[in-house]
Amino acid sequence: MSEPAPVVGIDSVLEVRGLEKHFGGLYALSGLDMDVRKGEIVSVIGPNGAGKSTLFNVITGIYEPDAGDIRYGDVSIVGLRPHQVVKLGIARTFQNVRLFANMTILENAMVGQHCRSKGGVFGSILRTPGIRAEEERIRERAKEALSFFGKRLSGYRLEQPAFSLSYANRRRLEMARALATDPQLLLLDEPTAGMNPRETLELRDHIVRMRDELGLTVIVIEHDMRVVKGVSDRVIACDYGQKIAEGTYDEVAHDERVIEAYLGTKTTDD
Amino acid sequence: MAASRWVRMGAAAGVVTIFLALVGLIGGFTDVYLIGDQIVFAGLMLVLPAFVAGLVAAAPRVEGGERHEMQLSEAMKAAAVAGAVAGVTFALAVVLADWIGAERIRTVFLNVSPQLMEFVNFGQATGPGALIIVAISALAGVIGGALRVAPRSVRRPVTAAVMVTLVFGFLQRVIPIALDQLKLERDWLYSPEFDGLTWIGAVVVGAVAAGFSVLNARFGERLRGGLARAGGQSGPAISPARLVAGLVGLALLLVAPLLLGSVISEVLGTVMVFALLGVGLNIVVGYAGLLDLGYVFFFALGAYSLALLTGATLNAYGIPPEPVISGHLNFYVAIPIVMVIAAAAGALVGAPVLRLRGDYLALVTLGLGEMVTVLVGSPWLVPLVGGPSGMRGITDAAIGGLAFRDPQRFYYLALAFVGLAAFISWRLATSRIGRAWTAMREDEQTADAMGISTTRFKLLAFAIGGAIGSLGGALFAVKIGSLTPASFQVLVSIQVLGLVILGGMGSIPGVIVGALVLVGLPGLLREFEEYRFLAYGAAVVAVMVLRPQGLVPNVRRSRELQDEERAQDEWAKAVEEGETSPEIATASGATT
Repeated sequence: MSEPAPVVGIDSVLEVRGLEKHFGGLYALSGLDMDVRKGEIVSVIGPNGAGKSTLFNVITGIYEPDAGDIRYGDVSIVGLRPHQVVKLGIARTFQNVRLFANMTILENAMVGQHCRSKGGVFGSILRTPGIRAEEERIRERAKEALSFFGKRLSGYRLEQPAFSLSYANRRRLEMARALATDPQLLLLDEPTAGMNPRETLELRDHIVRMRDELGLTVIVIEHDMRVVKGVSDRVIACDYGQKIAEGTYDEVAHDERVIEAYLGTKTTDD
Repeated sequence: MAASRWVRMGAAAGVVTIFLALVGLIGGFTDVYLIGDQIVFAGLMLVLPAFVAGLVAAAPRVEGGERHEMQLSEAMKAAAVAGAVAGVTFALAVVLADWIGAERIRTVFLNVSPQLMEFVNFGQATGPGALIIVAISALAGVIGGALRVAPRSVRRPVTAAVMVTLVFGFLQRVIPIALDQLKLERDWLYSPEFDGLTWIGAVVVGAVAAGFSVLNARFGERLRGGLARAGGQSGPAISPARLVAGLVGLALLLVAPLLLGSVISEVLGTVMVFALLGVGLNIVVGYAGLLDLGYVFFFALGAYSLALLTGATLNAYGIPPEPVISGHLNFYVAIPIVMVIAAAAGALVGAPVLRLRGDYLALVTLGLGEMVTVLVGSPWLVPLVGGPSGMRGITDAAIGGLAFRDPQRFYYLALAFVGLAAFISWRLATSRIGRAWTAMREDEQTADAMGISTTRFKLLAFAIGGAIGSLGGALFAVKIGSLTPASFQVLVSIQVLGLVILGGMGSIPGVIVGALVLVGLPGLLREFEEYRFLAYGAAVVAVMVLRPQGLVPNVRRSRELQDEERAQDEWAKAVEEGETSPEIATASGATT
């Protein structure tokens, strides 16, 4: 699975053009453009309500955009259902962790492999050799995905129900489940929310490893600026559903409009 | 404050007793002897509400999230008060009835018979009779309370002994037949004079049940560990009690018709047809989590399409149906075709309701089910399915010269189909497909976002559930030999859902147990036939309140129902223990 260090080239994995999404009178996205290149880690930042999670929901097919286009590789993915998007190689995690709480940890990860397998009704009833082999492969791949987080999600824990996990481990399991879908592009929605500082630092390293060891392209929505600084090849700042700045962490962090978006307009006596 | 609660409980129990008397559950059963010539069913009904009131009054209370265990003396007082109030409430009703005159009340409440009045007065005059009622109710309440506060090691064997003895008492028309078949002496167990258990028999049965309970409590845990090691399993092992019960149950299912004769086999055949429907509905409701109240649709579809494919006669004309679809296929050739038709219909019916969830889905499917009843009975379809007068002359599923209309043989045919359906259901549940259903049931949107086509898997559940349901319908047609719309009422849907819920959603043994309890018991106890739906409602309410995971639960399903509290506890514990290990320490050390 490991690939050489990423080449930040010109070939775009994801192209977003003029994306709009309205909820009644609220413009969650109003003409957003962005590009993501292969092997990049891009952070999306912005104040609450800037449209970051809506962007993820539109890319992954949970919402259909009101206007604009999203191209993944050569194809437009607008209008696809979420499970079709996953099959193309875009996996995600949720801001509020959404696991299958009563399934075991292994089963949660095995669900990730669902879109890479095709066992049908009759095969499953007869349990043909092909089905057994496929089931074994699903199990192994799921374990491999879980082992990305070291011992935290393996061993005796494989058979534990997901609800028995700690908060940080739930987030890790959600990422492992996404990894188990064999994605090329991974969307992480606030992966460190609710984690303590130590866990946050550990996760920062994991995100970098996802690119370096697994060869993934990663888009991450993040509020913790230490993480943003530590992982990002590029940072995109949003506000009111539009891109307001783009560049390296330092460029974006010192951008007037970004500061304004986070802290409000400067007062005259400053 | 607490005392008012006991009084309320007692009064409620008294009202329940009055209700039971008015619907005839007391007056009509004064001669159904359960044990000896003392314990009659009517007597049981008379004191049961007071007993339950005592049980509940002595239960620990939960106030503001805190559990208050009761002191022994307080619990006894509570139970006695609740029981006595129940008795007083009922006694007042009896006194009032005597004063008005039973004959006059009877013009409104048919069941207030002289027999009932004599029974509830214990053959005494009104005054002393009322006192006896109060005394006996208080006693029943105290017994209930005592049972509640007794330690587990006492409560369990006593409960087991009483329950099993009562079940033996109820099965007074089943077990003696089996004993006769086995050429065993039966007069010591069942009184030839009163039909019920003899006192000696009751003591023996109760002692054996209590003994098993004690043995299970003492050695069960150890055995469970041993079984887990022997099986090499990592997950929670099946308890030995459940394993033994399962094996004994399976053996009984195999020999039951041979021991019990054709009258009871007839009932057991119906049980198996409903078990088959239960296995099918369990796929839709238990696995995929789609609440379907129109399951009778597939029952009817299976029955009528089998009749048409194998050739039947329209009662209205005395000839086979006109259209060319009427064939003369062999039963075993027709069955796969019926299932394919039902699966296609399942997908077709499923398609328009895909976007609906929960209550809305239930309502729409309820309507779809009702449509079937109306359709098969409509004059419009008389040339096809016979309309209100139905069809007759349906195949007896013979293999060579061996026909299956005979109740005992039919039972084995049905049992084989249940086995097949259970096998299919089990294989699917433990495959990639079952995993997708579980994920979908737990969180539909997330399942979609993780690559599961929820549309596809919902339709699949409807199709497979429908195919198995149609099998139930086809077998029903073979069993009865004729079809009328009266057999395809919406109540079938409710009954099947009831047995799935009672047994435990997602659990196949649960479905069988549910079918035996909800379909078998009323069928065996003919005189209770008219109280069938009263018992149904009571059973389903009791299960939902006391044991929402069902009688024989599926492990995961029961977790889902207790999920919230458990999840919080586990989470809190995990947070306390902390989630740090050396690797992170170095990782953070390197970067800070």
